[in-house]
Amino acid sequence: MQKEFRKTVGTAEQRIDAVEKSTGNVKYLGDKLITGMLHAKVATSTEAHARIKSIDTNEAWKVPGVRAIVTGDTFPFPIGPILADRPPIAFDKVRYYGEPVAIIVADYPYQAKQAASKIVVKYEKLPVVNSVEQAFQEDAPIIHEQLGQYTKIIDNVYPVPGTNIASHIKIRKGQFGQAWATCKDTITATYSFNLSDHAAMETRSATVEINPDGRVIVHSTSQSPFTIKKILNQFFNIEVGKVIVHIPMLGGAFGGKGAVQLEPLAYLASSAVGGKLVKLQYEREEDMMTAPCHIGFNATVKLGVNEEGKLLAGQYTFLIEAGAYSDQAAGITRAAALDCTGPYHIPNVWCDSYCMYTNHPYATSFRGYGHPELTFAIERTMDQLAKQLNVDPIEFRLLNAIKPGHSTPTQSVLTENNIGDTAKCMIRAKELIEWNGNQTTVTENGKIRAKGVSLFWKTSTTSTNAQAGAVLLFEPDGTVKLSCAAVEIGQGTKTILAQIAAERLKMNMKDIHVTMEVNTQYNPHQWRTVASSTTFLAGNAVLAAADDAIRQLKKIGAVALQCSENDLEVGNSRVYLRSKPTYGIDIKTICLGYKYPNGHTVGGQIIGTGVHVQRQLTEMDKDTGFGDPGPWWSVGAQAVEIEWDEQNYTYEILKAITVMDGGTIINPMTATQQMRGGIFLGLSIASGESFEFNDKGVIQNPDFRTYQLMRFGEQPKEYIVEFVETPNEDGPFGARGIGEYGVIGAASALANSLSSATKTELNKLPLTPELIWQTREVGQ
Amino acid sequence: MISFDFEYFKPESIDEAIKTFSSEWKLGKKVVYFSGGTEIITFSRGGKLTVDTVIDLKGIPECKVLEIQGDRLIIGAAVTLNQLIESNLFPLLSETTRRIADHTSRNKITIGGNLMSQLGYREGLLPLLVADAVVTVANQTKIEEIPIEKFSGSELKEGAFLTQIKVPVSNLKLPSKSIKRTRTSKVGYPIVSLAALVHEGKIRVAFSGINSLPFRSTVIESILNDKKMSDQQRIDKAITKLPSTITDDLLASKGFRQYTFGKMLIELNSVLEEKL
Repeated sequence: MQKEFRKTVGTAEQRIDAVEKSTGNVKYLGDKLITGMLHAKVATSTEAHARIKSIDTNEAWKVPGVRAIVTGDTFPFPIGPILADRPPIAFDKVRYYGEPVAIIVADYPYQAKQAASKIVVKYEKLPVVNSVEQAFQEDAPIIHEQLGQYTKIIDNVYPVPGTNIASHIKIRKGQFGQAWATCKDTITATYSFNLSDHAAMETRSATVEINPDGRVIVHSTSQSPFTIKKILNQFFNIEVGKVIVHIPMLGGAFGGKGAVQLEPLAYLASSAVGGKLVKLQYEREEDMMTAPCHIGFNATVKLGVNEEGKLLAGQYTFLIEAGAYSDQAAGITRAAALDCTGPYHIPNVWCDSYCMYTNHPYATSFRGYGHPELTFAIERTMDQLAKQLNVDPIEFRLLNAIKPGHSTPTQSVLTENNIGDTAKCMIRAKELIEWNGNQTTVTENGKIRAKGVSLFWKTSTTSTNAQAGAVLLFEPDGTVKLSCAAVEIGQGTKTILAQIAAERLKMNMKDIHVTMEVNTQYNPHQWRTVASSTTFLAGNAVLAAADDAIRQLKKIGAVALQCSENDLEVGNSRVYLRSKPTYGIDIKTICLGYKYPNGHTVGGQIIGTGVHVQRQLTEMDKDTGFGDPGPWWSVGAQAVEIEWDEQNYTYEILKAITVMDGGTIINPMTATQQMRGGIFLGLSIASGESFEFNDKGVIQNPDFRTYQLMRFGEQPKEYIVEFVETPNEDGPFGARGIGEYGVIGAASALANSLSSATKTELNKLPLTPELIWQTREVGQ
Repeated sequence: MISFDFEYFKPESIDEAIKTFSSEWKLGKKVVYFSGGTEIITFSRGGKLTVDTVIDLKGIPECKVLEIQGDRLIIGAAVTLNQLIESNLFPLLSETTRRIADHTSRNKITIGGNLMSQLGYREGLLPLLVADAVVTVANQTKIEEIPIEKFSGSELKEGAFLTQIKVPVSNLKLPSKSIKRTRTSKVGYPIVSLAALVHEGKIRVAFSGINSLPFRSTVIESILNDKKMSDQQRIDKAITKLPSTITDDLLASKGFRQYTFGKMLIELNSVLEEKL
């Protein structure tokens, strides 16, 4: 693609929400209180697995201000985005500690909370399935007895009735068995970690009001406004047009706000009080224990190479911990399978990816959608195999890096266009980390310095008809209002879309006004703001809308300028003759119609519309995984340098490097920050975050006193982010998705560096000093 | 959000606080004294604590003092950790309390609240234990001074509260060291935390995290000061003299605590050796 002069794409424009946010002026959903609003609170299960014998609400009703108490029998039907397996309020059984068993609606939040504590549930305890490994055993207690009867909401989910397997996804590429037998060297290793939290600054909340005419008005901290409409329609039988969803700016999401949990609860609560406006806002502890979390993971990876060290065969067994309900974990199970190899060319692939129920809080999407997890397993195995073969781990990766002409595990053929340059990213990361062949060094004060690297890849497994729309409405002063349903979750999407619009219209950024909040009544449809897909889908929709607006501007411009539309150009807020740019007219004089000197007016408001839908994606074959599930693969490399104290086992992260092929980078500053945020999140999960359960399946660290995040000041001393820009013909100005990618290789790079420093294979997370000590001292 | 109703009082004198407690208590109410409030608020939200009456001590002038009076440093119980750290009147106390919670929380947490914490870490106590501090406690009948060891080893009587901490000026600037190890993040409860100083050529040290309560042990100190033994011998012997069994919980296993304890003693020794 020829490099052309660009007005704003490629420029570090200030985020359009920067001033509002940095001055503390943004009102989040939790900030909004309306007179007459009622408040809901969930009473939650105190057992991880039990049959509900009775629910006594008498004492709760005695609390002043209580208006309604809703229990599971009000709506005993299972719902879900992929497999409908979860009653919004537990019915008959509870499957995790913290699961909603009743909703109380009261005049004030404290009354609802007081009443919630007075709900008395009698349980008949059932054996608790307390780990994914236990869940997989043949004689494990069954969590979903009706697994065979649940409705499949999408294809590509394969529950196994009579087990705790919510879905089993298979990849069969080439002849694994035969190839394995011919491998010169092989390795087998197992990896695992627990469920954890999204820990967004803003906890989840939703309000619902049901108007007397039947309109259901939802405000929510959601990444999925149109999914809320779909779910209320599918399961609650409300006409799609009668559900109106508002999404304000969100205080972080990380995938945790892609799930639909609070909205049906708030809907049931509002229904119970005659449709009055009801707010359900989670406190931090609820956001950690009741709301959906990040998956847990267990993987066994087998890799085999030929004489030259080229990978011949790979076998992958993933146990994805879904917790009590499958939600997005069923989709993650599929996503992990279809990218199971990591960015390596492996002709013979066998993968069994299982979505496993346990009696833990249920999981949903988390930034990276299965990829940070699988990458941890793959990249640790690559390092261990390189060591076994006595080759440099970077050379080993470069020898096997995937490239155009190869095919993915689902046999999608890779082209120059649909995959970035993996090797180039690796080579640049190698330079930046000053790779010295995996050697550790000892500092003056006796600490050990080591480096670790990781490659990563990911495609966005949207639905095959995932799409976004955009509308550009011209204002009387010639500026443009950009309407779309992309949700601002802190990723800067609104700024990127404004840049794309400004670039195509050749206007100034300041003249593009993006609607910050989403309202499904006015904004065009968009699949969801997940899967690093918004720049691609909504960005392309904005381009189409801009082209539509340009066509209309030329048409009315031709009238005003008395020439052919074909002779005109649009730029700098004017329509002008291509051959004589000084002859033209300001957009502001024609964008609400052109008025002749006598007052007659023709034309009208310029409204450019555009949509973009995924092209030629397919589902995966049930038995082999064969299919084209994703539009492109973004790739990259990450590297970490640490300093480890052999005496007390603590370590500091000195450097974190990310080199990513994001295609054309629309805004280098927001992209860089996104990568930094990503690797911070990844390092935090890798170094300390993890839900700890007792033997009854109860989370022991459900608050920030005890759940340890990486704190400000503990981030790497140096963050280096660079981009390789291999344009993607299908992306706006050649852009690919980048949103999730910074997180993907963080855990594996950290684990590789620490394994190198400690000369111990660290295959579990989180990498606490004690885990390293246990593995090194006690394990030996 | 705290869901239960409670009465809130903010007395302006010690006497008023004691009287308020007494009158509320006589009504059969559950009464607590309140300072920074970080524990009472989070415990109450989480359903671990319910109270009928809260008496806020931050309005009492004696509890807000932070100054040297004569040969003693006076620290009011309601002085926040950040005030203490910034004043740096007692460097070992600054160094130790700087590692309690995070900066925002330390704007709220008071030294009195930390010493009365229900969580069992009370790291603010460690420098006081090695510096011969005394505390003043107000109760129904009088205000009395109690040596810090006695205070740390027993519960206050119902209705009594801590008003001040007094540290001899001569002990404020002795050679000292605070060491803390956590599970991962620097911000977090201690696996083991220690504060030590050198007093007349001898190491004094107090610990938190390793046992269920903080302690200073003269037996352990005499072992650590015994130059006849090697480092490893001292550690091995010190471990056998801990006042109770080593804590084993989510933060760290017993084994790792013991390992960490040993390494910290070696570190302490090497840091303080040159100061001895």
